[in-house]
Amino acid sequence: MQKKIIEFTNLLRKSGIRVSVAEAIDAFNALDELSLDDRDVFRDALRSAMVKRGDEIATYDELFDLFWSGFYDNLKGAFGDMEGDLAEKGIDLEQLLSQLAEMMQDMDGELDLSELAKAMLTQDMSQLENMIRAAAEDAGAGRIENMLQVGFFSRRTTEQLGLEGAQQDLEGLVERMKAMGMGEEGIQQMQELIRKLMETVRRTVRNFTERELQQQNHNYMEKFRREMLTEKSFYHLTEDEIQKMREVVARLAQRIKNILSIRKKRLKRGKLDLHQTLRRNMARGGIPFEVVYKTRRKDRPKLVIMCDVSSSVANVSRFMLQFMYSLQEAFTKIRCYVFVAELGEVTDVFNDKEVSSAVEKALDGGDVINVYTRSNFGFAFHEFWKNHLAAIDNKTTVIILGDARNNYNDAKAWCIRDIQNKAKALVWLNPESPSAWGFGDSVMDKYMPYCDIVEECRNLRQLSKVVDQILL
Amino acid sequence: MFQSVDDVIQQLGDQDYICDKQIATVVFLAQQLDKPVLVEGPAGVGKTELAKVISQALGREMIRLQCYEGLDEAKALYEWEYSKQLLYTQILKDKVSETIADAANLADAADRVGDEDSVFFSERFIVPRPLMQAITSEEPTLLLIDEVDKSDPEFEAFLLEILSDFQVTIPEIGTIKARSQPLVFLTSNDAREMSDALKRRCLHLWIDYPSEELEVRILDRKVPNVDKRLAEEVVTLMNKIRALDLKKTPSISETLDWARALLALNADELEEGIVGDTLNVILKYEGDVQKAQNELSKLIEKKTVQAQAEKPQPAPDETAKKGILH
Repeated sequence: MQKKIIEFTNLLRKSGIRVSVAEAIDAFNALDELSLDDRDVFRDALRSAMVKRGDEIATYDELFDLFWSGFYDNLKGAFGDMEGDLAEKGIDLEQLLSQLAEMMQDMDGELDLSELAKAMLTQDMSQLENMIRAAAEDAGAGRIENMLQVGFFSRRTTEQLGLEGAQQDLEGLVERMKAMGMGEEGIQQMQELIRKLMETVRRTVRNFTERELQQQNHNYMEKFRREMLTEKSFYHLTEDEIQKMREVVARLAQRIKNILSIRKKRLKRGKLDLHQTLRRNMARGGIPFEVVYKTRRKDRPKLVIMCDVSSSVANVSRFMLQFMYSLQEAFTKIRCYVFVAELGEVTDVFNDKEVSSAVEKALDGGDVINVYTRSNFGFAFHEFWKNHLAAIDNKTTVIILGDARNNYNDAKAWCIRDIQNKAKALVWLNPESPSAWGFGDSVMDKYMPYCDIVEECRNLRQLSKVVDQILL
Repeated sequence: MFQSVDDVIQQLGDQDYICDKQIATVVFLAQQLDKPVLVEGPAGVGKTELAKVISQALGREMIRLQCYEGLDEAKALYEWEYSKQLLYTQILKDKVSETIADAANLADAADRVGDEDSVFFSERFIVPRPLMQAITSEEPTLLLIDEVDKSDPEFEAFLLEILSDFQVTIPEIGTIKARSQPLVFLTSNDAREMSDALKRRCLHLWIDYPSEELEVRILDRKVPNVDKRLAEEVVTLMNKIRALDLKKTPSISETLDWARALLALNADELEEGIVGDTLNVILKYEGDVQKAQNELSKLIEKKTVQAQAEKPQPAPDETAKKGILH
C-alpha cells in the first residue's frame, strides 16, 4: 500500500500538482485513521492531505480514477465477462472450480503451480493486480510514449508475468487430472477454461498498458499547458487559451499586488513622529507608551497608456489592459488611449465594474475611434501631442504598446520626443522581436532614441517583467 | 469526539447541518491528526457555518478571529494593557517610593525598581486576543480564523508559527505553551491564493455548491415549512441561474433566503412574475439581475414547454409534413 501511495504521489507531481514530503506523510497518517473500505472516503482523505488548490481538484480526480480504481474494476469486469462466456457454453465456472479443488486435494503433494497460475485459478484479483503491476514495472511500461508501443509493452509485460509458464503449469494440471480419470467432458471444459483465462489475462495486460499510456499523456498535456501558456506568443492564442490566459493574468496581477503591499509596509519604518506620538498618548498623560513613526511616502506612479488596437497587436493590448485594470489601485491615476490611426481616450473603461467587458470595450475603440483603418502611428501621436499633452506631467510614466508598423506614413518622431521630455519615463512595448525593428514599414528605429525603456513583449513572462519594472 | 466518518455526518446532521462524505472525512481526519483545516470555496456555501456546528457538536467553545486587511499581532495574539499598567503605577506609587526610600543612590534605586518590573510585565496586564485565548484555554476549543485570505501576507507568515507549534513567545514573559490543542479551521474565499507554506500545514477542504439532491435536503431542513415540490423547483432554477455567467453566483444562503421570501409571499409555484420580483433576493448586482431577467423567460419557458409536451396533444407536425410532401 505504501508503495502504491508513493507511486501515486509521483504521478501527481509529474502532472504538475505539487505534493511535498510532509504532505505525503500526512496522507499515510490519514489512511491509518480510516477504514479503507469506502472508496470515496479514501479519495477524499488523500485529496485533503495532498491537493490544496481548487483548480487542481479536477486533475486529481481524473488521475485518481486512472490510477486507483479503474484497473481493478476492469480486471474484475474482464473475469466477469469470462464467466459469462463460459456459462454460454454450458460451463458452470463455480462447479468446475470446486470439482478442481477436490481433485487437487486428492493429488499428491508434488503439485507445483506457479503463483500466477494459482492466482488465476482462484480468481484472486488483488493478487493478480499486484503481479501485473510488478511485471509492468519490470517491463518498463512507465516509459511508454505513444499508441504504437502498446503492443510491444503488453508483450513484454506478459513475458515478465510468466504467462507462458503458467499455461504450461495449467496444461500439466489437466494432464494429471486426465491420468486420475477425469471424464472427457470435464477435460474439455478445463481446456476451455484455460484458454479463456489466458485470453482474459492478455486482455487485461493490454488494458493496463493503455492506461499507463493515458497517464503519461495526461502528465505531458498538463505540464505542457501550464508551462507553455506564460511563454506562448500572444499572436497564436486560441479562444480557449485567451480564456485561460485571463486567469493567469489575474493571478499574476494578484501576486504583484502582494509584493507591493510588502514593499509598502517596509517603507513605513521612518523616524519618530513626535507630534503624532504625543497626540496618540494623550489618554495616558502624554507618557509615550505608544510610539508613532513617520512614514516615508513613495509616490504611486501616474500612468498614461497608449495602446495600438489594430488587429495585429490586439492580443497584447488585451492582456496589458487587463493587467493594468487589475493593478489600478497601485497607481494614482491611469489614463488610457487607444489608436489605430485616430486616437481617442477610453479612460472611462477603468470605471467599468467588470474587467473582461472593460477590456473588450477598450479594444473596440470605445466608440471614439474607427478601428477598421490602417495603422498610422505618426498621425496618432500628433493627435495626442495636439490635444492630450496636458495629461502628462513629470510624475507620469507613459506606456506605448504597438508594433510601429507605420504603413510607410510619416513617423513624426518629434511628437514622441516632446512626450518624453514632459514625462517621467516613456516605455515602449513592442510585440515584435528586436531583429524586425526598423525593417520594412517598421519605424521602431525612429522612435527608439526617445524611449527610456524599449522591451520586446509578446508573452506573459515578458509582460509581467515589464510591469514589475514600472512599479518599482 | 467523533468516532467515525459516518458519526460526523450523523452528529452534524443533529445540528441541522447536512454535509456530504467529503466534508465529513476531512473533519474526522482533522480531529484524529490534530491538523488545521483550510476550507475554501465560493462565498455562502457554509464554510463558517461548518466550524460553528462542529463546535456545537463537540461542545467546544468557538473562538473566532475575523481577518481583515491590516490585522496585526496586537489584534490577533495579545496586547499589553497600557492604561491598566499606568493606573497600577499611579496607585502603587507609595509602595514604589517605599521600596526605594532607603536606596543609597540613584543607581541603587533604579536597580530596585528594575527587580520589580516583572510585576508590571506579567500576565495580569496582557489582553489575550483570539489566538492566545484559544491556546491558553483549559478546555479544548475550536479556533475559527475566518476569511484568512483578507489578511496581509505577513500575517499569514506569523500564523504559521502558531499553527505548527501551538505556542506563543512573549519577549517579556517567555514562551507560553498550549494548555490544550484547539481544533483549527481557516476559511478562505480565494480572494488571493494562500502561500504554499500555509497550505502544507493544513488539510484542505474544498466545499463547492451542493448537488441538487443535497440542496433540496438542506432546504428541507433549514426552511421546514417549504413545500417539497416548490423546494425542488427552487433548487432546479437556482442551478440554472448558477450556470449563467454572473458576477456573483448565488449560493446556498441565497437559496435559503429565497425560499423564505417565497414562503412569506405565499407563492406555491414558481412563475415568471414572482421570480422576477424576487430576483434581487438572490442576485446582488444590478447587472446580474438584468442578465437573469433576460434569460428568465427562457429558463421558465423551457419548463412550460416540457409540461405541455407531457400532455397528449394532437400533432400538427404530421399534417404539415404531408402538406410538404404533396
